[in-house]
Amino acid sequence: MARSNLQLQIASSKVLRYGVAVLSVSVALGGALLIERLHLHNITLFLFAIAVAAWYGGTRAAVLALLLSCISFAYFFVEPSHSIPYFILFASFASLVSWFSSVRRRVEGQLLQSRDELTERKHREQEIQSLNQELARRSTELESINKELEAFAYSVSHDLRAPLRHIAGYTELLQKKASSTLDEKSNRYLAMILDSAKRMGNLIDDLLAFSRIGRTETQKTLVSLAQLVTEALNEVRQDTEGRNISWKIGALPDFYGDRSMLRLVLVNLVSNAIKFTRTRPQAEIEIGCTDGNKGDLVVFVRDNGVGFDMKYVNKLFGVFQRLHQTDAFEGTGIGLATVQRIIHRHGGKVWAEGAVDGGATFYFSAPRPQGQLWRT
Amino acid sequence: MENMNKIGRILMVEDDAKDVELTLTALEEYNLANEVVVTHDGEQALDYLYCRGEYKTRSRDNPAVMLLDLKLPKVDGLEVLKQIKADERLRIIPIVVLTSSKEEKDMVASYKLGVNAYVVKPVDFHEFANAIKELGVFWAIINEAPPGSVRK
Repeated sequence: MARSNLQLQIASSKVLRYGVAVLSVSVALGGALLIERLHLHNITLFLFAIAVAAWYGGTRAAVLALLLSCISFAYFFVEPSHSIPYFILFASFASLVSWFSSVRRRVEGQLLQSRDELTERKHREQEIQSLNQELARRSTELESINKELEAFAYSVSHDLRAPLRHIAGYTELLQKKASSTLDEKSNRYLAMILDSAKRMGNLIDDLLAFSRIGRTETQKTLVSLAQLVTEALNEVRQDTEGRNISWKIGALPDFYGDRSMLRLVLVNLVSNAIKFTRTRPQAEIEIGCTDGNKGDLVVFVRDNGVGFDMKYVNKLFGVFQRLHQTDAFEGTGIGLATVQRIIHRHGGKVWAEGAVDGGATFYFSAPRPQGQLWRT
Repeated sequence: MENMNKIGRILMVEDDAKDVELTLTALEEYNLANEVVVTHDGEQALDYLYCRGEYKTRSRDNPAVMLLDLKLPKVDGLEVLKQIKADERLRIIPIVVLTSSKEEKDMVASYKLGVNAYVVKPVDFHEFANAIKELGVFWAIINEAPPGSVRK
């Protein structure tokens, strides 16, 4: 390591590089002169000097060492006319050692590069590790937030309902006890308190149901939509009492999804249709299925009710969005948001068409189940 | 109604005084309120059942039914339920969970612990009174309470 550092240091500095050449040849010359005096052969020393210059100083140093060796050799030891073979010998030796040196340098360069890459990779690994830790931390954080949210929903479910029950309960008791002694206005106030308490109760229930959809896992099975429609109609039967509704229910496919959630979708859509056709002497509600784009399954619920202005179609599916006054049509404004959330969780879409006083059609789509699951 | 049969004692575990009064009012309408013992937390309810603490001197008999709220101070409803259903002498007492919680996990946990019925308190007083009345009539009158419980 120390040696290669020394070599690099020499190769990278001009002064050192040529200095090595001059120094080594001078030493060789001195040695050669000494050897000659002792009648020994002197070529080896020059070769050694060239080798040292080439090895430590690189090609250019080797050339300089070669030139110096040749000059001093010709000047001190042989006749200039006889020096050519020695020049050739020195030159070939110099190029051989320079080549070795350059190969060695290249190999070392690659080694250094791979060492850099290794450090970089380690660096990246550390980065990935720290990112992973961050991710794990975030996920625990998210988990705890989710738990908090659950606790919050639980608290809403339990703690918010109790005072509401007390408001409604004691107002009703008061009404029972004092309604005969109260004037008409006071009785109306009591009725309004009760009405609001009831409305708030419905709101809490709907909000909880809405939040539960986000929290619970969907348990997908093959569900018969026809069966679900029957169940939904049973559930809303109370609202159809005294109403004249003609139902048109087409063939419905099986659907791959969460049974209770899909049931909620149909209950919401059907009860909306019933609600918004209330002003019609003869209500018509149609439930059916068509093929959508890309072979998706599209189910629709169509009514001839009061409809809506297409201008506000984007507001239909928002939480707490209502297009009618509370007095005209009751409701919490969460039903269609719930529908949308459920369908989105099933990978489908919801949309609606309508016109003021011209009825409305609500659609939901879902990818057709794979294989033989789909049948009408 | 009270002539139809003897009325069993109802042990009510409810920490909310307003809920206690509402429940008693509903039971009063059907003359079922006289045999109601009210405890305000899980510990007190267990004290009553085990005849200890302030109930040391009471006659050692079981209530015909226990109306149990889930969210209670000190010892919560599920813990009370667990202790009772694990006790050889007390496990025969019919227990009705009467709670505001519609959460499925509470329902599942209660049934797993062996609750006899699970009733969500309706917000509407009419419905609430009806639910309480039906509960009272069924468990304190119609149902044959296990031997060892009080009837008057």
